[in-house]
Parts: sequence; C-alpha cells; structure tokens
Amino acid sequence: MTITDFAGRRTFLKLGAAGAGALAMPGILRAQDKPSEIIVRAWGGAWGDALKEGVADPFTAATGIPVRLDFTEDNEIKPKIWAAVDQGRIPPIHVNWDTTTNATISALRGVTVDLSDLSNLDGLLPLAKPTGLDGYPLVNTYAYVYVCAYRPEAFPDGAPDSWTVMLDPKFKGRVALYDDGIGFNPIAVIAGGGTFEDIPGNMEPGYEFYRKLKENAPLLGEDADFTTWFQNGEIDLACTISVNARAARQSGIDVEWTVPKEGCKVDTDGLWVPRGLPANEEHWAREFVNFALSREAQEKWCSLLGLPPVYPGIAPPADLVGDPSYPTKPEDFARLVSVPSPVLVENQPIWFAKFNEIFQG
Amino acid sequence: MKYPLSWRLLDGLEAAAAVLWPARLRRLTAWGLLAPALVLVGVLVIGLGYMLEYSLHELDLATYRLTEAYSLTNYQTILDRPVYARVLGRTLLGAVLVTAIAVALAFPYAYALVRTRSAALRKALLVALFLPFFIGQVVRAYGWLIVLGREGLVNSALAGMGLPTVDLLFTYPAVIFGLVQYMLPFAILLLVPALAAIPEDMELASESLGARWISTFRHVVIPMAKPGLIGASVVVFTLTLTDFAMPEILGGGTSDFIASAIYDSFFQISNPGLGAALSMVLVTLGSLIVAGVFLVAGTGTLGVRGAK
Repeated sequence: MTITDFAGRRTFLKLGAAGAGALAMPGILRAQDKPSEIIVRAWGGAWGDALKEGVADPFTAATGIPVRLDFTEDNEIKPKIWAAVDQGRIPPIHVNWDTTTNATISALRGVTVDLSDLSNLDGLLPLAKPTGLDGYPLVNTYAYVYVCAYRPEAFPDGAPDSWTVMLDPKFKGRVALYDDGIGFNPIAVIAGGGTFEDIPGNMEPGYEFYRKLKENAPLLGEDADFTTWFQNGEIDLACTISVNARAARQSGIDVEWTVPKEGCKVDTDGLWVPRGLPANEEHWAREFVNFALSREAQEKWCSLLGLPPVYPGIAPPADLVGDPSYPTKPEDFARLVSVPSPVLVENQPIWFAKFNEIFQG
Repeated sequence: MKYPLSWRLLDGLEAAAAVLWPARLRRLTAWGLLAPALVLVGVLVIGLGYMLEYSLHELDLATYRLTEAYSLTNYQTILDRPVYARVLGRTLLGAVLVTAIAVALAFPYAYALVRTRSAALRKALLVALFLPFFIGQVVRAYGWLIVLGREGLVNSALAGMGLPTVDLLFTYPAVIFGLVQYMLPFAILLLVPALAAIPEDMELASESLGARWISTFRHVVIPMAKPGLIGASVVVFTLTLTDFAMPEILGGGTSDFIASAIYDSFFQISNPGLGAALSMVLVTLGSLIVAGVFLVAGTGTLGVRGAK
C-alpha cells in the first residue's frame, strides 16, 4: 500500500503542497520582513514634494514603512549603484526614480531587477513599458514635455510661436537650455530646418541651430537654475520641463509656457529597483514601485506634478485641461516629438559631445 | 626626596613610552611620525593607479562597461576633440590670472596684517581673513549671484544713479572674479608667515642707508618674501586649476573649466574611461607646471632646509 492509496492522489498533492509551503514559510516570511525604511532617490523641489505627498506618505500609511527621499543627483547615484552591484555590496538606495534614458542605460548594464510580475502593471498604458528591453527592468510612470517657458512681459504680442525666437538678438544672454542639450537636441534639428526623419542620422541642422544660438549667448543650467533665473529676471525664455515652469508659476513667478510650431520633446521617467538588495528589502522596494503604479498614487502624484500618468483614465488637473504640455489624445502627442529610448541611449553621448564642442568652444 | 606630581606623571609616561617604543626603535621614530602621511599619499597613489588603468579602456555603449582590451582611445578622443584643448586652455589661463591677481591683492593685506601697530586693525584684518572660511564656496558663489545679478545689488545701484544696467554674471570674467575672491584668503594665509619672518630691522636698515620705500620693497621685502610668494602661487594655482563650483555657478554653463568636463564624463555620459583620461591629463599638466616652478625657483624658496 502506498501513501496515495491511503489518502488519495489529490489529497496527497494538497498535503504535499501545504507541507512544502510550511517548510518554505520561514523564508517567505523573512523575505517579507519589513525594513526599517525604504530609500528612494528623487529630484528635489516640486518633484520631491509630489513624490512624498503622492506616493511616499500614502505608502507609509499603508505599510508602516517610512520612506526616505535621497536627493542625490540622478547622474551621481548611477555610478554608486553600479559600483555597489559590481562589488557585491548593498546598493545605497532601494528605488531609483530616474529618467527613462538613464534607467535604460542601467538596465543595459544589468543592474536592475525585473519588475514584470508587479500586479499593477496590468491595464497600464503602453507608455509604461520600456522600449528595446526584455520584460520590465524599469517601469515608466508618466510622460513629460520640455516646453518653451517664457516671461509674458518679454512677449507682449503673445506666446512665441517658433523656437527660432531664441535666435533673436533681442534675447541675447536671456535664453536658457539644459547644460547637456537634453530635451532640445531633436527640436534643434527641426528648428534648424531638418525633419524628424533626420534624427539621428543627420543632426547637422540641429548643430547649425546651436551654432547660431551660441551667438546669442544662452545660459546653460539645470532645473533649479531655470527657476532662479526666471525669478531674478535673468532670462526671458527657456526650454525646460513643464513641471518646473508650473512650479515657478505656482510660487508667484510670472512664467507661461507654450508648445511652438516645431513641437516639443516628450519623454518619460520611470522607477527601477537595483540588484543586490537583501530579499526583504527588494520585496518592499518592488511593493513601493507597485504602489506608485496604483490608481490612487498615480492620480495624486501625477496631478501634483502636472503630468499625464501611465494609469489610464485619470483626468488632468484643472489648470492643465487643454494644455498642450499635458498630452492625453493622439493629436496632442502628434504635436510633440518622441525619440525612442534606444536611439537616445545610443546617441546621447554623441549629441552631448557635439553640444559641448559648440557651446564650450 | 619627594618629587612634584607632574614630574612623577612625566616619569610614568616616559616609562610607558619606553615599553611601547623601546630605545632600539628610536631610529624609526621619524618614520613612525611620517607613517600616517605616507599612508595617505600611498592611498592617493593607488587611486591614481586605478585612474590610469581606467583611462586605458574604452566604453562599450552596448553594455555601458569598459572593455577589457587596453587602448589609448580615450587619449585619442581628447586629442581629436578641440573642445578639450579649449577648455584646458581656458582653465590654465584662469589659473594664471587668478594666481597673479590673488597674490598681488594678498601681498599688501598680509603686509599690513604683519606690520600694523594697531591691535584693533590686526584683529579686524584677521576676522576678515578667517570669516570666508566659515562660508563654503558654493554659498559664496550664490552670494555673488545675488550681488551681481541683473536685479542684484550692483545693478540696482547703477539703476539708482540713472545708469544702464550691465550683465556681470555668467561670463568668464565673473568666474575669475569669484575665484579670486575665493582664493584670496589662501594666498594671504600663506604669505603671512613669510612676511612675519622678515625682521622689520632689515627694512629700517635699508631705509637708513638711503633707500626709498619702493627700493626697500623691491630689493629687500620681495626677495625675502619669495618663499611665501612661491608657496601662495603654487597653492592658488593648483586649487584654481581643479576648481569646479565657481565656473559651474558663475559661468552660466559656457565657461566650464576642465573639472566640469571630467564631471560630465564620469556622471553625465557615464564614461569613466574618458573621465579618468581627462583626470590624468590634468594631474600630469598640474604636476609638470608645479615641478617647473620648483625647478626654476628651487624648493629652497619654500624655506625647506638643505634644499637647493
């Protein structure tokens, strides 16, 4: 007589599964031990405030795990995580809030955890899926637009309708771009007389636009610089992410923004979890990402940022209804310029070198 | 006979020292004292070794890792892209200008600090000298943004006088200005001991022999202050050569120094090989220039005993 004769095959299988589960339980439970905190790298200012209010605080309320935001510059945390993973050390953060381009680079390097099994991925917009990569080594969380932000006082006839206004000698020394050309490289090609199809094969129209722009002595900086420069009346015009322009306006600075006829670059940010975390910390880091993709978190977080989320059917904030920087319909996206991440990853270093050569020369 | 307590304590300490560091090891005392510094320098040399190693590997854009194979590609890239030569030239020119201006401004300050008979003035000069050290470089740079900005103190004063406002920020001169202000205290601190070491009697003797003040200054003070001048110049030059914050903040993104290019390579474009190669070029160039200065001036000018 065998044991299956005694208990029945199905019962035996159930008992076997229960037994195996019981044996594995301590491991599973250990994997779910709550860490003392979850560290999330974030951008500061309006960005960090939105993440805290929209995701971190509700996550803490739901799980009891405090979330600490680490404001290390995104480009500076990257080599620290890479080194930690390569050397078998525990990475300095649990979740990285990153640009999709940078996150893709980290994924190519093999330092990210696959997030394919997150329950909240179901039903998200296709935008959430990273392109050119297997699975979900990162998950995109919203789209954002590099708008043309301007001081209305400097444009009494209304919003500028073309990026070529940057070349107007009237604005010499009063135009600003990101210091690595990010957000403007494809637009420079179109504003310089090229077409979207020229990217990345023929960037020369863009470089020519930059050469002309250099004569107008533009300022080159980061997010925080743009706010300061607008606040201090140093600039009249900037290519910056709509979040910064909106935050500046919300803090009383007289700034408006528009999408000129050449379009604006649209991009995405995402979240990823580095490899090498202890099992329980990785589990809760993934839970944090999963929570950030829930309707509740997406609605609050993206509404505070003023950006279209990857969760479908969420209405834009009242002040951004119909705003071209908040694309919701296909025709909205048609006015914007989207360069696939693999193209950005492959070409960003080349574009950056050329951008530097022109503006530092 | 009963010895005072302090004597007995010292005897005890001496006995303990004799156990811990026996007489036969005394000839190694100097090396023992030097050991921490040697360890620090050793760590630096090991770090430089790693940098050199990194600089000899090209970045593979498919994996964003340095390739295994050794090559001079990164150095070739530096030579091929004229932007690096221009940024390096701008950095070198900046370092020379800042050194010349800072040392020239520091000299009268240090001289006044050493020679003044007024204790109040000396204290005021000392406070003004040390105060900037309590304020970090970044904070000072942001201070200049407020003072020199379009709606800052200077332009407000100009507008108040009915004069047109001027763009003072985000230019190369603004970077030089910020760096001079930052380096001035270092230069003064290095000049003060050298000037204090010049006996005032020497100047009096020169003047009593009929030399005018300017001759005394030229033929007595300056030559005797040479150790301080060389030391201050070397320190200010090397600090400026590697400075990052002032060009970043006051340069408006178009007056970068080589440190910014190194930062960009490491962090912006994730190419540690190129960043390491640029670092090696900077270290080599800086070392050659400082070695050249010592070769011409002699290390003896720094007051190093026995040196030429």
